[in-house]
Amino acid sequence: MFNATVLRIRTPAFKITKNCKSKDCHSVLYTIPHGRRFLSTSSCLYGKILPRKKPRVVHEIAGLEPITYADRMHFVPGLAKPRFPPWDRGWKDPSHYTSPKLEDMPLHKDKPCYMFNQRTNALEGVRQALWLSKSVIVKGLPAQILTLAEDPANQIENQDERVQDAIKNSRMWDTTEIRPPRERFCPSLLHRLLHLCAGLQVSRPELAKRILAEKYSLAVTWRRGEDVFQVRGQNGLLLNSMTPVPVLAGEEQIQSTADQALETFYPIAPTIDLQRTHVYQEKNDTGFREGYPYPHAHTLFLMEMGNTPKLFPEQLRAKMVMFTFGNALARAQALYGKEPRVLEKPIVVQSVATNGRLFQFVVFQLNTTDLQSDSGVKNLAWVDEDQPLYEFAKVRPFIKKKVVKIPAGLSGYQPDTFKKFLALYLHGAA
Amino acid sequence: MASCSRLPLHPFLSATSARLVCNRNVQVEASTAKSLYPPILPSRTAKSKSAKRRVVTEFFEQLRARPVQEKIRALTRVQRKKYVIYPQTFALNADKWYQHYTKTAYLSGLPEKYTEIHSAPLIDESVLSELRSVVCSFILQEHWYLKKGRSFIQREQEHFVTPFLRNMVCALKNLPAKENPVLCLSSLDFDPQVNYYWLRGERTIPAGHRSGRIEPMRFQIDDKPHSQIRIPQQLPEFVPLEAEISAEVPVISVAPDRLPLFRRQYDNNIFIGAKLEDPCCYGHTQFHMVPDRFRRDKMSKRGLSDQVEVSLRANGIASLFAWTGAQAMYQGFWSEEDVSRPFVSQAVITDGQFFSFFCYQLNTLALSPRADGNNARKNLCWGTESMRLYERVTDGDIVGWNDAVLRLMLQFLLNKPQ
Repeated sequence: MFNATVLRIRTPAFKITKNCKSKDCHSVLYTIPHGRRFLSTSSCLYGKILPRKKPRVVHEIAGLEPITYADRMHFVPGLAKPRFPPWDRGWKDPSHYTSPKLEDMPLHKDKPCYMFNQRTNALEGVRQALWLSKSVIVKGLPAQILTLAEDPANQIENQDERVQDAIKNSRMWDTTEIRPPRERFCPSLLHRLLHLCAGLQVSRPELAKRILAEKYSLAVTWRRGEDVFQVRGQNGLLLNSMTPVPVLAGEEQIQSTADQALETFYPIAPTIDLQRTHVYQEKNDTGFREGYPYPHAHTLFLMEMGNTPKLFPEQLRAKMVMFTFGNALARAQALYGKEPRVLEKPIVVQSVATNGRLFQFVVFQLNTTDLQSDSGVKNLAWVDEDQPLYEFAKVRPFIKKKVVKIPAGLSGYQPDTFKKFLALYLHGAA
Repeated sequence: MASCSRLPLHPFLSATSARLVCNRNVQVEASTAKSLYPPILPSRTAKSKSAKRRVVTEFFEQLRARPVQEKIRALTRVQRKKYVIYPQTFALNADKWYQHYTKTAYLSGLPEKYTEIHSAPLIDESVLSELRSVVCSFILQEHWYLKKGRSFIQREQEHFVTPFLRNMVCALKNLPAKENPVLCLSSLDFDPQVNYYWLRGERTIPAGHRSGRIEPMRFQIDDKPHSQIRIPQQLPEFVPLEAEISAEVPVISVAPDRLPLFRRQYDNNIFIGAKLEDPCCYGHTQFHMVPDRFRRDKMSKRGLSDQVEVSLRANGIASLFAWTGAQAMYQGFWSEEDVSRPFVSQAVITDGQFFSFFCYQLNTLALSPRADGNNARKNLCWGTESMRLYERVTDGDIVGWNDAVLRLMLQFLLNKPQ
C-alpha cells in the first residue's frame, strides 16, 4: 500500500526528470534565487525516483482457454480477467464517439497533404509563401496604386483630421476605462477606416457594389513538385466586389517573371510548419455558392490582435500572401477549371493586415495555375511592409526622469499609410 | 485629546455622501421679503437638517460653475449599491416600470414628422430601389450564398444577423449621404458602450445602522447596442419642449426589487460611446439586435408571445433614455440644471427579420427626488410595433418583401439637423 502511494507520487517526478535534459535542470537551478528552495519544484527535480513497476505479463497459451471470473461477476484471485467484445450502445451518441483509426477513414490517402491554415506560423515567412505559391516578390506597392494614392481627387475632405479622429476614437475614446485593449481597438480602428473610405460612395457610386463577408471558409488544392498543398479554413474579413480588380502587371512584366528564379532555402524544407495530414479531401471552394452576385474577391483584411501576437509581421505577411493566393486560385479554378494553364486574364487580390498600428499591404496577381514545376511564368506579389499609421497614441504621457518622453495624445501620425489604404480600397472603382 | 467633532472643511468634502444627498424635503425657500440685515444662514457644521441642506445647496451651486468633466465626475464619484437596469430584460411587463424610472411617456406610432406626408423627409425612389437591392443581397449572402457551418447553440443571431446588420448599417449610412450631408461627418461605432447613471425616487432603508432613513434610489443602465451613428450637430426636436402631451407616465409604487431589479455596486458611468473630447457628441440612430434568448420563436416557445412587443418597447425606452441622457449630460445639463433644449435620438431594434422603430425626446433630466418636486416635464418615446421585412429566404430568393420597413429606415436616416 505504502509502496503504491510512493509510486503514485513519484511517477510525475520521474517523468519530469526524464523529460528535462541536464541543461534544463541547470537553468532551473540558475533561476532559483538564493535562499528560496521552492520545495514543490525542487523535490521533484532532485528527489529519488523509484523505477516504474513493470506491468504484469499475462501469458497466452495457444489452444488453451483461460478460466475467467466473468460468470462470477466479480474479481476472484487466481482467475483471469475476462475480455469482452466492445459494447455497442445501438445508437449514435456524439459525446461517446470514438473515431476509427486514421488508416481506416474513407478519406485516408497514402500521399500526405500539407495544409496552410490561418494559424500556420511559417518559419521562413514570405520566402516560403513565395515558393509555395510560385511567385516573385516586388517590394513596394505597384505604380498604379501609388498614383491613385497621390491623386488629390481621391481624398476625403479633411482627410487627416478625420483619420486622426478615427484613431483617437478607437485608441482612447472608446471606453470608460483608461484605454481599450488591443482586442478591442484593432477591429474598431479597421472598421472606422473602412467606414471613412466607404464615405466616398457619394462621389463614386461604384463603391456601392462591394460587400463585406466574414467567416467565409476557403478551400483550395494545388500540386507543387511532388507534394499536394492546400489552403484551408476561415480567414479575416473579405471585401467582395461585383467587378474584378484591374490587372496590375502588363504582358511584358508577366513574361519577364519566367526568367526570374524562385528563391530556395535549401536545408529547410519548404513544407516546414505546414500541417501534414493523410486524411484530407481535395476540395476547391471559394466559400460562396454558385450565382453569388459579388464573385470577385477584392481585399482581404486580416487582424493580428493581442499584445502577444501569434504571428510575427514576417509570418503575417506570409499568411497574407498565402490567403490572397488561395482566394485567387479558388476563383481561377472556378472560372477556368482545374487544368493548369497560364491565365489570359490574371486575377488580382489585395490584402491589408494590421495590428492596430502597423499596416502590411500585399497585392497578389495570379498569372498561372501551372504550379507543378519551378519554370515558366510565375505569379507576382507586391509587398509593402510595416507601415505605421501613427507612432504613439497615449492616454497618459510617458515620463522618464521627470522628462516627458512621449506626450499624451496622438503623435507621429503618418498620412501616407492611410493614403495607401484608401488607394487599395478605391482600386477598381476609380 | 481625541474629539469626534469635524473640521470645518470636512463636511463640505463629503457633501455628495448619500447621507446628505438623500434628504427628501430639501426645498430651498427663497426669502422674498426685503430685510434690513443679511439673512441668517444655518450653520454649515451643525448636526442638523438645515445644516445639511445648506451644505448640499452650496455644493450644487458650486458645481454649476464647473466644467462638464468635473460635473460628471462629481455626480458619479461615490459608489453605492444601485439598481442595474438591463435594456434587454427577461422581466415581464418591464416597459411600464422602465417608463416610471425614466419618467417617459410612451406614444405608440411615430412622431408627426414621419407620419404626415408633407413633413416626412422625401425619399428618392432611385435610392430606395438601390437600397432594396443591396439589402436583399446582404440577406441572401448571410442566409444563402455564404456557406456557413452550423452555428453554436444560442449563437444563431451572432452568426447570421450581426454581419447582416453591420453591412446594412454601412449601406444605410452611405447611400442617403448625398441628401443628408451630416452623415458624411458622422462617426459609426460598432459594439459601443453606453452608460447612464441617475437618481430617481426614494426608499427607506429597511435594515442596518442607517435603517429608517430615506435615501434616493440609484439606477444604472449599461447598454451595448450593435452599432450607433453619432453626429456633430443636434437633431431637431419632434415636439416643442413645453408641448402638452396627454400620455401619462405610469406610476409604480412597488419597490424595484419586485420587477425584479437587482442592486450591485460598481463604477457609476455616464458615457455616450466616446469620451468628452469627441466632436461627434450628439446621437443620430442606434441599431440594436435582439439576442438569441429573446428571439420571437423562443419567446413563444416559452409561452411569452405577448411579451415580445413589451420587451422590445422596454429595450427601446431604456437604451434610448440612457443614450440621450448621457448626451445631455455631455452638454453640461444635470438634474439641477435641467435641459434648455430637448435632445433627440432614434433607435431601430431588429432580430434580422422584424424591425421596430423608436424615437426619443429627452425633455427633462430632473429625475432625482430633490429636483422632481414640481417638474411637469416628461420625456417622450414614440415607437412602432415590430414590422416584418421579409417572410423567409428560400434557395436564393426572398419571399414576402415589405418595402414600408425599408422606407421608414431610410426616413430615419434622412433626419437631419437644422
